[in-house]
Amino acid sequence: MIAGAWLCLLAPLAGALLITLAGTHLSRAAAGWISTLSVFVGFAGALVAFLQVAGESADERSHTSTAYTWLAAGKFQVAMQILVDPVSLTMMLIITGVGGLIVWYSMGYMKGEDEERRYFAYMALFVFSMLMLVMGGNLLLLLVGWGLVGLASYLLIGFYHDRPEAIAAAKKAFLMNAIGDAAMALGFFLLIAKTGSLDFSTAFDAASSGQLSPNTANLVALGLLGGAVAKSAQLPLHTWLPDAMEGPTPVSALIHAATMVTAGVYLIVRTHAIFEAAPNVQHLSAIIGGVTIVVAGLIALVQWDIKRVIAYSTMSQIGYMFLAAGIGAYGYAMFHLLTHAFFKALLFLAAGVIIHHLAGEQDVRKMGGLRKVMPYTHAVFLVGALALAGIPPLSGFWSKDGIIASALAEGGVLGYTLLVLGLLGGFLTGAYTFRLYYLVFHGEPSELVLEHAGGHMHEAERAHGHGEHAHGEGPLSMLAPVGVLAVLAAIGGLIVIPGLWEPFLTWIDGVAEPLVTASVTQDYATSAAAVALAGIGIWLARWAFVAGRELVPASALRTVFEHKFYFDEIYDALFSRPAQLVANRLRDDVEVPVVQRSLGEIGTGVKEAAGGTARLQSGLLRSYALVIAGSVFVLMVVFVAVR
Amino acid sequence: MLTNLLIFLPLIGALVVWAAPLSRGETAALAVLVALSEVAIWVVALVGFDFGSASLQDSAQREWFGDLGVTYHVGFYGFSLWLAGLTVVLGAAAIGFGAWVGRDRARAYFGLMLFLIGAVVGVFASQDLLVFYVFFEAMLIPIYVLVGVWGGPNRITATVTFVIYTMVGSLLMLASIVVFGLSQGTFSLIDSGTSGNEWVFLGFMIAFAVKAPLLPFHGWLRTAYTEAPPEVAALLSGVVSKAAVFGLVWIVLPHFPGPVDSWRTVVLVLAAAGLVYGSLLAFRQPDIRGVVAYSSMGQMSLIVLGIFAANDLGLDGAILHSVSHGLVSAAMFLLAGMLIHRTGTDRFADLGGLAKGRPALATVVMVVGMLTLAVPGSANFAGEFAILAGVFTQGWGYAAVGAVAIVLAAMYTLRLISAVLHRARGEAVREESRDLRLLELALVVPLVAILLALSVWPTAISGHSPGLPTQGSSEATP
Repeated sequence: MIAGAWLCLLAPLAGALLITLAGTHLSRAAAGWISTLSVFVGFAGALVAFLQVAGESADERSHTSTAYTWLAAGKFQVAMQILVDPVSLTMMLIITGVGGLIVWYSMGYMKGEDEERRYFAYMALFVFSMLMLVMGGNLLLLLVGWGLVGLASYLLIGFYHDRPEAIAAAKKAFLMNAIGDAAMALGFFLLIAKTGSLDFSTAFDAASSGQLSPNTANLVALGLLGGAVAKSAQLPLHTWLPDAMEGPTPVSALIHAATMVTAGVYLIVRTHAIFEAAPNVQHLSAIIGGVTIVVAGLIALVQWDIKRVIAYSTMSQIGYMFLAAGIGAYGYAMFHLLTHAFFKALLFLAAGVIIHHLAGEQDVRKMGGLRKVMPYTHAVFLVGALALAGIPPLSGFWSKDGIIASALAEGGVLGYTLLVLGLLGGFLTGAYTFRLYYLVFHGEPSELVLEHAGGHMHEAERAHGHGEHAHGEGPLSMLAPVGVLAVLAAIGGLIVIPGLWEPFLTWIDGVAEPLVTASVTQDYATSAAAVALAGIGIWLARWAFVAGRELVPASALRTVFEHKFYFDEIYDALFSRPAQLVANRLRDDVEVPVVQRSLGEIGTGVKEAAGGTARLQSGLLRSYALVIAGSVFVLMVVFVAVR
Repeated sequence: MLTNLLIFLPLIGALVVWAAPLSRGETAALAVLVALSEVAIWVVALVGFDFGSASLQDSAQREWFGDLGVTYHVGFYGFSLWLAGLTVVLGAAAIGFGAWVGRDRARAYFGLMLFLIGAVVGVFASQDLLVFYVFFEAMLIPIYVLVGVWGGPNRITATVTFVIYTMVGSLLMLASIVVFGLSQGTFSLIDSGTSGNEWVFLGFMIAFAVKAPLLPFHGWLRTAYTEAPPEVAALLSGVVSKAAVFGLVWIVLPHFPGPVDSWRTVVLVLAAAGLVYGSLLAFRQPDIRGVVAYSSMGQMSLIVLGIFAANDLGLDGAILHSVSHGLVSAAMFLLAGMLIHRTGTDRFADLGGLAKGRPALATVVMVVGMLTLAVPGSANFAGEFAILAGVFTQGWGYAAVGAVAIVLAAMYTLRLISAVLHRARGEAVREESRDLRLLELALVVPLVAILLALSVWPTAISGHSPGLPTQGSSEATP
């Protein structure tokens, strides 16, 4: 079991190293295969571990395996260890399973790309880092994985490194996450100061036994929440995610939809004991999630880039997970994480098929009528869209509904507010998803679509690198993974049917006991409301499309949405500019004139005094002699003074 | 015996290179051979080293000025053995770089380089204050000449500034050594007791603050690091600055506990300020070496935070970070040198787009960059984390400043990486500017490999530095 887990962790690392070290000795196709296989080997390992752990009784499902002491300094020790329990196993299966499909898909999508090997090395590195994050057996290793996924994300967003926008987006993502990392690190320093350790058990016992003062618990939880908000692109540290769409589409599917961005949810579930000791901070995360659901949903209504619509949708859906984790519905948070990984990866990959087919075009205004040209893609996209909108019996329905019902069960001002936000989000989801669906697939085929219907080469295509076109909608390596994900997105939710069959919730409950559980009646009530609202959203989107109108008519409101609530502008004015200004002022008004110039003058003075302006050696020797003479003088003074 | 060999082999090598009428190629080959032998000798010392023991090992002792209480006494503790290892490895890389570039006046150049290495090892091995002083000065003289003769266009200014700063520091230190030694009756670092004399303490502190450098004693830094030949800059920031670490850890902390406690806040505030100041300035530098220079100032300030954290956590972290910062900043300076060799410049405005078609260069620059910004999981991260966790007990503000510096380090490093590797091809970059060649890789990759190995197991250093002064007495200081 433990061997399977270690295999799962190390196989992708081995893949990444192999591709990097082999360099150009490896063919492009071989690099793709090594990367894909290494991830699938990881999946096999995770599966073995899962089957064994699932066979154990519920209270014996947590296993820690320690390899050696990673960092020992003073009395502080941190081991290189992994934790295998239902929560980490769920994540391992998602990461390697969905991840393997996406890397496989990449072999078709990236074919003919200039630096394919580098891409596949990065992908394997990412999978390893993500596994490190979820398997790390203590808080420091979690932080290590946390930072490494940020690194892999940076590398992959900036993959097209000759495009300034891609590089800017990559840097932005890294910096936003560095801010989150720093917040987490501060929380950890406090924890070390109080408990002397970063072991999970020490920290959680200290939190649940009340050994941490409320103040300490609040600060540690705030640090964790800071990291979670940055990594999961929740308000207000979300601005990097839409820009991250500059990366290749499979990257968006894997990192910016299915796995890395959900790490914040994993973090809250994993450290729930600390959050429960700081209930205000835990509720704050629920509120952040609820607000993000709506804000991101509103922005998604006015986007024109197919990937950005899905990106805002991701933010919004992760908002649901934060909402659930924030009120202690940990099982549903993890459940939505799972189904979201299926249907969102599906939507991104289907969008990738379209983008690939249309030679890199991402603007939905230039699409249209693709239903006839790409029937397969249309079918799978529709499955993903319905699952996202929460239409029964597709996967998204079961998980999202559970979260909304939990908000109702929570009750009080907080619970009802969250309930309203969650329901409103359901309506928005239906509207933006089907606005996108109709724009892309319905209506008359656009000029661009007709142009590519024959599958001939296009000018822009070579520029973007998608050189080779397969017959039909795309190569098999792209269509097959999409098909698998479509099946999962359709039936993946059937592991929780409230009141009847809830094996997934029982599985997670063993690690994180829920603080709130909805009754079956509450479940049915919210289901009806949520599905009805989503249906209205879908109907509105259809009505607007048929009428040839925009969902959000031109107005001040639309301008606010289009400017994404002005977050970028505000950050620019509040942080970027002041930081640059301070740095420039320090350089121009302090360092150069005060420190350097005055010294330069002293230097010139000494040189002249030594009489050697032209000849270096003699000048040096003389100044050196001067100094030596001076030193003898000082020494004499000292000797006299001491006597 | 091993220690003496480690110190005197390069010094003798220097004399041979100066005296023997060898050709340029032979001189370079001899220097490289000596440098590699140093590494081998150090490895032998490492293998035979007993990390379980907290006493001096591989020691050699000889009466010098007996009536003054001066003995020639050298040897290693765990932490100083690591600093010596850093010295011989970076020394070999730097000498290799000099051979690869083909520095003119080869006999003088390689002689000085070897002399420098021997002197720095001597500094780290010293167990007597006067021996320390002699090696400390012996280390500075070759640097003056190397910068002044083989440096860039403004080398004279750079040298003179550097001389002034270090001389002031050295004189203050010499005065402190004399007063301290005479009052103790011995110059031995092991036998002498503690002193409460704040003036003597400050003499040492200023000397080491200049060497590190700490704010506001860093005036020499920019010109010295950019005017020096890249491989000399690599040694300056990589190992010479670590003489300050040795001095603080082995002279100041154990022998001046009282003044350390009363001046702790001042030092910590200066170090925290220097960390932010250096990082901000690094963010606005127009060239690679400028960025690395100010980044080094920031990282050395961070190390000082760890040393003055008053607990073993911070101190162990400081030793670990000394080694990893030394390796990474040297690697960055060598890379800058290789870029200058190709394009004639290391200014960002003229560079760019070097990643395209140059996979080895892109990979090495990216990996070194990520180590520079201390990406979680790296040895640099481990050291930084231990330092900040350690200094947190002195006040959360220091750790908060450190957290800000983490973000700033990401800002200046990403700026550097992008400016060199990404976007369109810069003006100075020609299509035929080559990827890193085998010889260049042989100089940088070992440094990177050591860093990656340390990232897998940072405990190798942080958990194997016995003999560090115990700080139990000041643990309770709020």
